[in-house]
Amino acid sequence: MILAAFSLLVALPALIWAAAVFDRVGTGRGATVLGPLCNGAALMLRPNTSTEAPDALNRLLAPGWYLALALIGLSVVPLAPGIVASELSTGLVLWGACEALTVVVVFLHGWSPNSPLPLIGAYRYVAIGLPAMLLSMFVLIAAALPAQSLSVVEVVEAQRGLWNVIRQPLGLPLFMGLGLAVTLRGPLDYADGAELAGGTSAEESGPALALWQFARLAMLVAFSAMAASVFLGGYLGPGLPGPVWLLVKTVAVMAATVAAGRWFARTPPARMLTFLWVILLPLSFANLALVGLEVLP
Amino acid sequence: MSLLSALARGAEIPVFPAIGTQGLALVESLRSRPGIRLVDTPRHARVLLVAGELDSQHLRSLERLHAQLPAPRGTVWWQASPLFSHGPRVPDDDPLAAIRQAAQADEPVLRPDLPPHPWQGIGPHGQGGKGMMGGTPYGRPMAMTADDIRDGLALDAYTACFGPFLPMLPPGLVLELTLQGDVIVSAQMASPPFEQGPPGDAPNLCAARMLRLMGIDIGIDIDIGSPRARSRGALLALPAGSGMRRRLAKWLRGDHVTEDPAPVSEALPGLEWTEAVLWLASFAPARLRAVCTKEAVT
Repeated sequence: MILAAFSLLVALPALIWAAAVFDRVGTGRGATVLGPLCNGAALMLRPNTSTEAPDALNRLLAPGWYLALALIGLSVVPLAPGIVASELSTGLVLWGACEALTVVVVFLHGWSPNSPLPLIGAYRYVAIGLPAMLLSMFVLIAAALPAQSLSVVEVVEAQRGLWNVIRQPLGLPLFMGLGLAVTLRGPLDYADGAELAGGTSAEESGPALALWQFARLAMLVAFSAMAASVFLGGYLGPGLPGPVWLLVKTVAVMAATVAAGRWFARTPPARMLTFLWVILLPLSFANLALVGLEVLP
Repeated sequence: MSLLSALARGAEIPVFPAIGTQGLALVESLRSRPGIRLVDTPRHARVLLVAGELDSQHLRSLERLHAQLPAPRGTVWWQASPLFSHGPRVPDDDPLAAIRQAAQADEPVLRPDLPPHPWQGIGPHGQGGKGMMGGTPYGRPMAMTADDIRDGLALDAYTACFGPFLPMLPPGLVLELTLQGDVIVSAQMASPPFEQGPPGDAPNLCAARMLRLMGIDIGIDIDIGSPRARSRGALLALPAGSGMRRRLAKWLRGDHVTEDPAPVSEALPGLEWTEAVLWLASFAPARLRAVCTKEAVT
């Protein structure tokens, strides 16, 4: 457990840097590798801003909570057989709680500056976040069925014969939708979009903004590691050591999530709500029903 | 700290553009320049770039915007006559050197950090509303419960002025909006958008602005006529029947949009914030300005 926690804490900054580098690839801005570090350092040296009558405590804590949720979610991901920071029999439930609390934290981030555009971002994110989290719950229950366990370790072990991405082809694409929502990206970034001038982050500056962006990237790492474990067999794979396989798959999911976030257009929220409730949620039910039929004795 | 400082020296300069007359195309041409990054909010910026002429009636708005930049802050006047005495003026096409110079500046706040009106102390809670809601504390209307225009529930309605430098609105446009959540209940046109001239109506520029509001940042070098933007779901993402798809499709084909919008006070109520912003961005700036100017006169 200590080894796993230590490994995660060592690997996380490098993975966050990699995620920030992915964000710059193809933007034509140059300094792809060092650019995120330089911009982050410059942001750390800028002052935090004050607003009129803010909810100061929640404004201070929201980025920290977001980072904490990413770390807690990451802790249930097994790095190799027997090496996991939180070996819970209900690891998927803990991850689900982190997803749900992300909605609360993003809301607090938009609520606390006491400013109209961040508040609109906060309300919109709650409306979109709820069906996105529901969708994720059904997808994760489907992934847990073949393992007959809510433990992420058991879900990985149950994929020794066949990865869930093949056994449940709808699962990973649907889970990617949740990934875009919890990491505030592209078509599901209803909290911090350009049409709200940065939304919940519109009033932030300096270390508070740097920490929020760091936490967003940490959540991307946590989501990617979870997706790699639940659908791509986690540490399973021939030849290479387990942690290397997990790393390779995590980086691949990260790259795919960044690409999807940059590629697809964001619709006005009412259309996305309809799409989530009417199309994607029934698809997640169908996915669960199909998996249920498959695992019937 | 020294490591942070050393790293920070290689950082891009975050710049918030305040766009004036004929400034829209200028600013769009800056988006792909290395060394700077155009940001959506003054809070993220180190430098305020005033691009295009502004008349003195916008001085107060500009000073307020200036005060929103965290200290230290600098200003650049790009093809604009300075309205206050800080920051270099750039008459030519390239403001990069001046932006670098302004990134070393430390200009003072130009407006006192005070509410627009003094506290008046009316009613039991002092703000003059009903209970703890409503009223106009410090001269600004506070949210008050009102009937929802869509489903008959009651929600807090909030009235405020938006513009003239909000990046998602056409530059210069000032709207007095009453919002319930993100739904516009009523809209009054307070000031029309600034003139942008023919470069502001260019299809690639208009398409790029609209796509950026939908989270796709591909710049004005967008390959007009290619199916790339379509494959990204940009047209499908827009509400059917609003005309927005048709207008964006035209721009993506490289054609000019010549439709006139309805008056904003009639078109915006009932729309959500994002729909309203996209609707405004889906008309050529010259057409929108003409209709808004007429609406302001009447």
